[in-house]
Amino acid sequence: MNYLNSSAMVVAGTLLIFNASAQDTAEATGITFNDSTGALRAFNPAVSATIDMFYYNEDSAEGLSHMKEEVAGFGGHAHGEDEHDHDHGYENGFNLRHLELSFYAEVDNYFRAQAIAAVSEEGAEIEEAWAETTGLPWGLQAKAGKFFSNFGYINAQHAHQWDFTDQPLIYELTLGSHGLNDKGVQVSWLAPTPVYLLFGAEIFQGDNENMYVQAEGENVDLPENDGPRLGVGWVKLAPFQFDNSELQFGLFGASGSHQEVHEEGALPDEYAYDGDNMFFGGDIVYKYNSGKAYGQGDAVVQAEYFYRDKDLDLKDSTDAGAPIGSALTGAQDGYYIQGTYGFLPRWRAGLRWDQVGLTNEEQEPGEAKEEFGDSWRASAMVDFRPSEFSQIRFQVNNGDYDLGDEGTENVWEAFVQLTFSLGAHGAHSF
Amino acid sequence: MLKKTGILFLALTASAISFGKLNVVTTTSDLGSIAETIGGDLIKVQSIATGNQDPHHLQARPKYIIMARNADLWIRTGMELEIGWEMPVINGSRNRDIRPGQLGHLDASKHIHKLEIPDAGMLTRAMGDVHAAGNPHYLTDPENAKHVAADIAGRLALLDPENADTYRKNAAAFSDKIEEKMTGWKQKLEPMKGKSIVTYHKSWIYFCERFGIDIAIELEPKPGVPPSPAHLTRVIQTVEADDIEIILQEPWYSTKAAEKVAGKTGAHVVTAPIFTGSDPEADDYIALIDLIVKRLTEQPE
Repeated sequence: MNYLNSSAMVVAGTLLIFNASAQDTAEATGITFNDSTGALRAFNPAVSATIDMFYYNEDSAEGLSHMKEEVAGFGGHAHGEDEHDHDHGYENGFNLRHLELSFYAEVDNYFRAQAIAAVSEEGAEIEEAWAETTGLPWGLQAKAGKFFSNFGYINAQHAHQWDFTDQPLIYELTLGSHGLNDKGVQVSWLAPTPVYLLFGAEIFQGDNENMYVQAEGENVDLPENDGPRLGVGWVKLAPFQFDNSELQFGLFGASGSHQEVHEEGALPDEYAYDGDNMFFGGDIVYKYNSGKAYGQGDAVVQAEYFYRDKDLDLKDSTDAGAPIGSALTGAQDGYYIQGTYGFLPRWRAGLRWDQVGLTNEEQEPGEAKEEFGDSWRASAMVDFRPSEFSQIRFQVNNGDYDLGDEGTENVWEAFVQLTFSLGAHGAHSF
Repeated sequence: MLKKTGILFLALTASAISFGKLNVVTTTSDLGSIAETIGGDLIKVQSIATGNQDPHHLQARPKYIIMARNADLWIRTGMELEIGWEMPVINGSRNRDIRPGQLGHLDASKHIHKLEIPDAGMLTRAMGDVHAAGNPHYLTDPENAKHVAADIAGRLALLDPENADTYRKNAAAFSDKIEEKMTGWKQKLEPMKGKSIVTYHKSWIYFCERFGIDIAIELEPKPGVPPSPAHLTRVIQTVEADDIEIILQEPWYSTKAAEKVAGKTGAHVVTAPIFTGSDPEADDYIALIDLIVKRLTEQPE
């Protein structure tokens, strides 16, 4: 993968040169310099803090967060070591998801940047720290740092922007609680077409807690893959230019390096796998703006489909009879569809349907291909926004989770979520 | 005369062919109308908010990004009116010429007389949807439209020096027209001078200041907060105490609260557009002010 490093350097250098040539000598007469961060803060970054907390209750015997790690075909969260291993499951009772501290500013006339720390009771994480060009020609934009991949629709949104308290099941079970958030670079191109057509390519280090793991075994060896180990591509198209509504379609695909260590038997024996995990899918978003005050009559409908395909080889094992070089493969998919509607001023209601494992198969070396069943979840929510800066949400989920040999279990969940934004007035993308 | 027109026409055609029309994108339709008056056939104007949409509550949409992508000049109301969506649109458009600070970015509030600038030391979000830079609904005062026209003409002249004189001439003509209409508007509104009205949102303060009308109270307890029963009781008391006759509001607010107040008092509800294009009668800026004045002075049925 070393050629990627050198080519990325060349690309970055070229981009910088173009960006630098983009500066206009704006005449000093009557030009306004203000960066939309408000009159009081001059050159300080726009600072905001978001508090995201909820009361939670679910009725399963063993704990739903533990159960989700056992969902047939989607297990295997505990393989490999990474810093994300703290438990993101919700406890019955009060939960403080995180305190999000955000700093945003135009760095200079070449870059804008954002740094976001997600502080939880376990510690702080860099949720985002990126800079993006503001002056490249030909509809190009480049971004570097740590950020959420812009594939699909919901992945790039922060948890407090979601229309439901929790994320879609397919994303939680595949990419994990943070979605695809990684260190790397992104180049995107707005095509010069009469309608909105945006292409994006991303190269990431490939550190996902679940789908892109570099594993380590106690007594088995795995190759150390150099980064960057993950590539993502996406395209978004909004073909219509309606007055009061917008319809956007997206397609995406990605492939990257992945490793797993399995432990089996009484001793136990260790099996070390190395190979690729790829995913592809599509998304569709429809938004309607009623033109009435306080969000009344506004509607959003969104759906995403996600398919992942795992292709690993057995590299090493403590089991002398293990067929080194044979394949461990798997394929899982899922989708969600959700809609919200502003039924009163400041009040919204929403419904969501999740289904995972319509395709759900796994084949281990020397064993027959296994087929697993699907799991589903239905959710309903009502939220109230006293202002643009606060929100209370009530949500209920009911789901059937296929736990393989243990059969299917039905779980009810209830949330009461409070979200507060302090400080700068944020501006959100579509 | 005919010859002159012919030469002018040729010159116009030539410039249109050699430079293409300047693409102007305005955030609101009233700015769009003023820009059209000044640029005429030399520019192509698109407005992001239709007259029926509250420009404070739009979302950054792909459609707007496409509009911004081809813009030579971006004109905004400013004073944080577009804060919730403007920069994602400009960033998304990858059009570096219209970023704040560039020649292609014009904040129309630069030279207007700003009202309701809050004391920075006292400002909190508990005051509701208050803008730190002052109240951004300044184009309801036709005098401010003159400043805006001059600013737009000045900027178009910088972007397209060939036609600088035309832009300045058109801005001057627009100002003269406002001047001329002002007398009539003042005459028509004379009976309301010194009287109080109720408005829904704080969007009419510039208009009322210009024509000497007092705003006793808003239906919103605080900007951006819908009317509550307790507050409506206060409004009813105010209407009765001050003998208020008019409750004025924009088309996107429900008239339920206003009708409740009207039902309990002698006041009547007046719905008037605040932007051009929301009403067939208000297809340009001057027609818009005409219509507001007409609605305010019509006798209720």
